[in-house]
Amino acid sequence: MTTPALQGIGLSRHYGGFAALRNVDIAVPAGEIRGLIGPNGAGKSTLIDVLSGRAGKWSGQVLMAGTDVSRHSPQMRRRHGMARSFQRTSIFPNLAVREQLELAAHHGGGVDEVLEQLKLDGLGTGPASELSYGDQRRLDLALALIGRPRVLLLDEPAAGLTVQESLDLARLLRDLVKSWGVTVLLVEHDMEVVFSICDRITVLHLGERLMEGTPDEVRRSPEVVTAYLGRSAH
Amino acid sequence: MSVQAATSLPAPAARPAAIAFGIALAAAVVGIVLPLLVASPVTLSLATQGLTNAILATSVGFLIRQSGFVSFGHATFFGMGAYVTGLLLKHTGLALEAILPLAIALPAALAFVVGLVVVRVSGVAFSMLTLAVAQVFYEIVVKWRDFAGGDDGLSVTLPPRVFGLPTTLFQEPGDMFRIVWVTLVVILFLLFLLARSRFGRLCFAIKDNEERARFIGYRTLMPRALVFAISAAIGSIGGVLFVLYNGFVSPDVLHWTMSGSALVMAIIGGAEFLIGPAIGAVVFLAAKDKLGDITEHWQAIIGFTLILVTVRWPHGLVGTIWHWIRRRGRGGRA
Repeated sequence: MTTPALQGIGLSRHYGGFAALRNVDIAVPAGEIRGLIGPNGAGKSTLIDVLSGRAGKWSGQVLMAGTDVSRHSPQMRRRHGMARSFQRTSIFPNLAVREQLELAAHHGGGVDEVLEQLKLDGLGTGPASELSYGDQRRLDLALALIGRPRVLLLDEPAAGLTVQESLDLARLLRDLVKSWGVTVLLVEHDMEVVFSICDRITVLHLGERLMEGTPDEVRRSPEVVTAYLGRSAH
Repeated sequence: MSVQAATSLPAPAARPAAIAFGIALAAAVVGIVLPLLVASPVTLSLATQGLTNAILATSVGFLIRQSGFVSFGHATFFGMGAYVTGLLLKHTGLALEAILPLAIALPAALAFVVGLVVVRVSGVAFSMLTLAVAQVFYEIVVKWRDFAGGDDGLSVTLPPRVFGLPTTLFQEPGDMFRIVWVTLVVILFLLFLLARSRFGRLCFAIKDNEERARFIGYRTLMPRALVFAISAAIGSIGGVLFVLYNGFVSPDVLHWTMSGSALVMAIIGGAEFLIGPAIGAVVFLAAKDKLGDITEHWQAIIGFTLILVTVRWPHGLVGTIWHWIRRRGRGGRA
């Protein structure tokens, strides 16, 4: 069995007496797009925060291609090849698009490619705060994609986008990460996006892993339907 | 506070730097010629004092602009520059050529070490920590009478020559005006280059969104501490020039009111613009001079002006003019 590109072992996170994440195991093979779904409060964003080094006190172990990065800061994880986007758009509002991508690329280049792929070229030299919401969401994604990370954690990249924008983003994301061979863990509430691009899906419920399987398996799972998807998923 | 004007510039290129160099050169020439047109040594002397204050205000403004931190204690570094120069001249046999760089490097080094602690917090907490550090140094100088002269201050006797030049240059208003003016212009030009450098842009990014900067792979503590140290070095240059000109330094230069005045100058001029704090210093000192002739309550008028500027023109004088020109430009094109 090959070593997963991203692995979390026994991950737990408590907020006071509330257990946001309880002993969750997750392993994502290289090149896979893994969906992470569940109702609000299931622990999806907490899991992403723990894996990316954003969370405060947590327990367990995070491995990247077998290397323990549990004690790595976010910037060290980034240098190790892990990148993430945020649920709330997180860009540099007073910097121009190219300026921030050049910073994010360090000295690695690839700015023009990402600008073109995410249709961010031609947005001028004005501050990013003047961009539309959709452009800002794509910029957030571009900041994560620049430098071709090995592991990409995406926290609701389609949040706030129209249906068409979400589907366009999903297609773009699938093509890009498949051609680059990036491993993706995707949190998304838009089930159309999740089922259309994910190879496998992990379902969280009340901070625990409810099940894991292909999109079809998840869709057919009575447990998942009861806990999250509802009857319309059938 | 927006840094739009500073950061929405195109990617680094030689042309803006060349233009800025040309402007700096022209400004330096203006400063060299200006004393020839001013007959009164008193006016020149006041202007020279004003320019040393402008350097301090520039250091405060640079810190705000580049990192978003508002210091309530930057007079510390101005005072340290002055006191290190005076104390080393008085108590050691070091040559002035060696003392001058030390008087800038020591405050900068101290600021870097202090910065590694204080830049971890932001907002009022940062401001209060800088005020606390400043008060510590003020008290040390006041209490340490044997070494630093206490309340009476410290008289400084300059050696006859430095770098082959007579030190009388430093105490002649016209010559010193030129020296301080050119120093300020050089500082502003270097800060312009710094803002356009990769490091400068990283600092803007950290100021904008520190968490995102960490998640794109940057350590954020060191750049902030470095900006604090650079701003301290600039402040200390002002202090060094101050003591060279006056031949005297007292604890007043370390007092919190000095830090407060520098902050007011930066805000009135517009801290988000490089030239803003220096312009603010000129306006502040001119207003102080004129209003002081009219009423002893001039500080109340300055206070009211500060409230007005903060509420009505939050970008300061330079920012307000800049945005007005931009609006007119857009209107003209429409």
